[in-house]
Amino acid sequence: MDKVFPTPVGSISRRSLFKLGAAGGALAMAPGFVRSAYADDRAKTLVIAAPATPLSLDVENSLSIGTIDTVAAFYDYLIEFATIPDPNVPGVMREDLTPNPSLPGGYNLKGKLAESWDFAPDGKSVRFVLRKGVVSNWGNPLTANDVKYTFDRKFEVKGAGAFMTNVMGLANKDAVVVESDHVVSFHLDQPNPILMIVCGHLANPIFDSVKCKEMATADDPWSRKFLDTNVAGFGPYNLKQIQRGQQMVATARPDYYDAKPFFQTVVFREVPASATRLQLLKGGAVDIAQALAPTEMKSLAGSDKAKVTSVEASQMLWIELNTAFKPLDNPKVRQALNFAMPKDEIVKTILQGFGKKQTAFMPEFYPGATSEFYDFDFDVEKAKALLAEAGFPDGFSTTLAYNAGDPIEEPIAIMYQTALKKIGVTIELKKLPAGTFFDSVTKRSEPMIFLLDAPFTPDAGFALNLYFYSGSFLDFSNYKSPEVDALIKKSLSTLDTKARFEATKQAQKILYEDAPWALIANPGFQLAHKPDIGGIVYYTSNRLNFQDYKRV
Amino acid sequence: MSDHVPARATDREPVGGGALPAVGLAAEFLAFLKNRPSFLAGYMIVIGMAILGLLAPFLPLHSPVDADASAYLLPPNLSHPMGTDSAGLDIFSRVLHAPRVDLAIALISTGWAALVGMALGSATGLWQGRRGLKGAGAVLMLRIADIVQAFPVFALALVLVAVLGQGVASIVIAIGLVNIPIYLRLMRSETLAIRQHGYVEAARIAGAGDTYVLVRHVLPNATAPLLAQMTINTGVAVLLAAGLSFLGAGVRAPTPEWGSMIAMGFQSIVTGQWWPSIFPGLALALTVFGLGRIGASIQAWSDPRERLRPARRAWKAFLAAEQGEALP
Repeated sequence: MDKVFPTPVGSISRRSLFKLGAAGGALAMAPGFVRSAYADDRAKTLVIAAPATPLSLDVENSLSIGTIDTVAAFYDYLIEFATIPDPNVPGVMREDLTPNPSLPGGYNLKGKLAESWDFAPDGKSVRFVLRKGVVSNWGNPLTANDVKYTFDRKFEVKGAGAFMTNVMGLANKDAVVVESDHVVSFHLDQPNPILMIVCGHLANPIFDSVKCKEMATADDPWSRKFLDTNVAGFGPYNLKQIQRGQQMVATARPDYYDAKPFFQTVVFREVPASATRLQLLKGGAVDIAQALAPTEMKSLAGSDKAKVTSVEASQMLWIELNTAFKPLDNPKVRQALNFAMPKDEIVKTILQGFGKKQTAFMPEFYPGATSEFYDFDFDVEKAKALLAEAGFPDGFSTTLAYNAGDPIEEPIAIMYQTALKKIGVTIELKKLPAGTFFDSVTKRSEPMIFLLDAPFTPDAGFALNLYFYSGSFLDFSNYKSPEVDALIKKSLSTLDTKARFEATKQAQKILYEDAPWALIANPGFQLAHKPDIGGIVYYTSNRLNFQDYKRV
Repeated sequence: MSDHVPARATDREPVGGGALPAVGLAAEFLAFLKNRPSFLAGYMIVIGMAILGLLAPFLPLHSPVDADASAYLLPPNLSHPMGTDSAGLDIFSRVLHAPRVDLAIALISTGWAALVGMALGSATGLWQGRRGLKGAGAVLMLRIADIVQAFPVFALALVLVAVLGQGVASIVIAIGLVNIPIYLRLMRSETLAIRQHGYVEAARIAGAGDTYVLVRHVLPNATAPLLAQMTINTGVAVLLAAGLSFLGAGVRAPTPEWGSMIAMGFQSIVTGQWWPSIFPGLALALTVFGLGRIGASIQAWSDPRERLRPARRAWKAFLAAEQGEALP
């Protein structure tokens, strides 16, 4: 047995000395190491200050701002538009929306979950060949059953999907046919020129049917509850955490089939006050501050802490002139209200030069959109003359409702009220809480009400169908014109691009005469971000796309 | 809350015989204010605001409700001494016009709350302890007041405006309703105290009814604390109205009102445009301060010790001087 020499209390053995040295060395290196590790983590983490976290992660339940911004991170689509450099903003990409009949599907499209597609010459069917080796965030491989499940779910849930299946021309569940494990086809009764681009609509993500079916219950056969706060898709990110009203955290999926995103972690934090979002961006605590007020964005000019990227966008701001209310049922009155809108002044002052005055009933850069018939520049005399013709030489009184949650609507309403006084029209301003504002819009209970919206699918026929087709769920001005309805139908059922756009042009000409909206502005799409954030791509859904962004 | 009748150390003399004539009373009150500059400042501020509000439409000002796009968010300058807001409205003109709405809301809501509260409170005070319907009614009124006061005042007012709809009338009703229990309780306690006094008992013995006792004895003797409470409440009502407007539940835009002006302007502070909210904020603070001082002055005036404090001080000084002169 070895002799054991007791170590005197307080003395240091050789082993202890080595341990101590190692520990000391580690301690000396630790701050730098920790700092460097933190810096690496921070560099690969995208922090966004947003006005709201998603109300739901299921597009069939909600298309709120938070949902729009986050859903494309978790879900992929069959196809998407190819991107091209923005002609006006260097370094920014945007979708190539130009119709090109020589390409399959009629547009410059890029396959995502679909590897290839055959769009039938008669426009009544399309056959998608799905990519192999794609797995969902739950590890289930992509099959044609996932596509079938996605569209069956739209028919059953009857949320936003009901509108989508209608626009796509899918008569019923049988219109989507699984041909093999990786081949699925859509069959229509009528030719549909926009079928392909609607497949890439934000509200048409493909679900992981295996996981969804696993989470289904007798009460909830389409897993609505599960998908409300969870994700089951084939997108580049996985959901790590969602605490509504606080934050959502997404992490990049190492098993994603396409290009891996730069940012490994995305923190989507709810910061309701825009002033606070601005301060967080200026202070460097966040990389992107969303939905800043125009004056706040303007205040970033010349800042080395943040910049604003502003592009032409599909967003439109207008006032619904509800034709069910007198005297707004008179087209001349509605035209007069358009002539009295000080659009240029609103863009110059309240919008601080971001965006431009609205001259069309859809985003002007959409194929088929025209402002050829626009003649609504501010003109008090014309407005007065139109009112006199309509039998209201002394004007009339009505109310204008606006959203308390949108800081620019109140000053615009006041400016418009002042302008309308000049033609004898008195409007009482009605401030509606943000929570009930959209109720009033959808109930069509106000004679005049603001609306900020965008048609996500870049097509004139789609936009007209959305807002002006009699009985459309977004026809908030109660506009009814059998002639416009026929032209919209025609534009959505012929493959001849020239004929389609001739129909939409005629429909727009009628709209300028009927003026169911008081046009205000196209506010554009602005992203306030740190100067080192690049890779910005503009989508007509006006969403963020975490997977595009990188540090430059 | 206990319904116990509070005891008084001494009976107060009924108001009536021996009171100073009105002119003498006014002169005494002015002398009282002269010795208390903060009270005087309160009156000057509130009267000044009221006069400005009344005269505002006749002064050569920009329109308080018509937007001028060419004057968007201008800082204070010669044409717009307080600058303009994000709708191109002149802040100076709006600040001067705002008392018409703010003070009117505060005075009317306080006035009707006080009237109803006084009527209910005096009835409760007179009937409390009696048998039958009157006694039960008194208890019922107190319990209803308990329920109303169980809710935070601002939250309750907000709910009431949400139910009644946006507008000046709704604010007046809401603020009045939440304030009624305050006057009910105050009047009840005053009535309970006064009805114990010897002169009231004498009147009762002489055959006086409730109405006579109320009009002849209770109301005149309860006026001072009620006036003080009303003045304080007017300040609170101004704040409440501004708070409701700040949250978007107040007056309709572009009505000049301090709370809604602050709400419209506060977003701009972070980008350096401080003037749209600071000036109405200052006007609001000054007015509430002024009303607070007026309330304090009425409280002090109704307290003989406090009212005579300067006289006592002068008397002491005189005595001290006398003693000093007497010393060799």
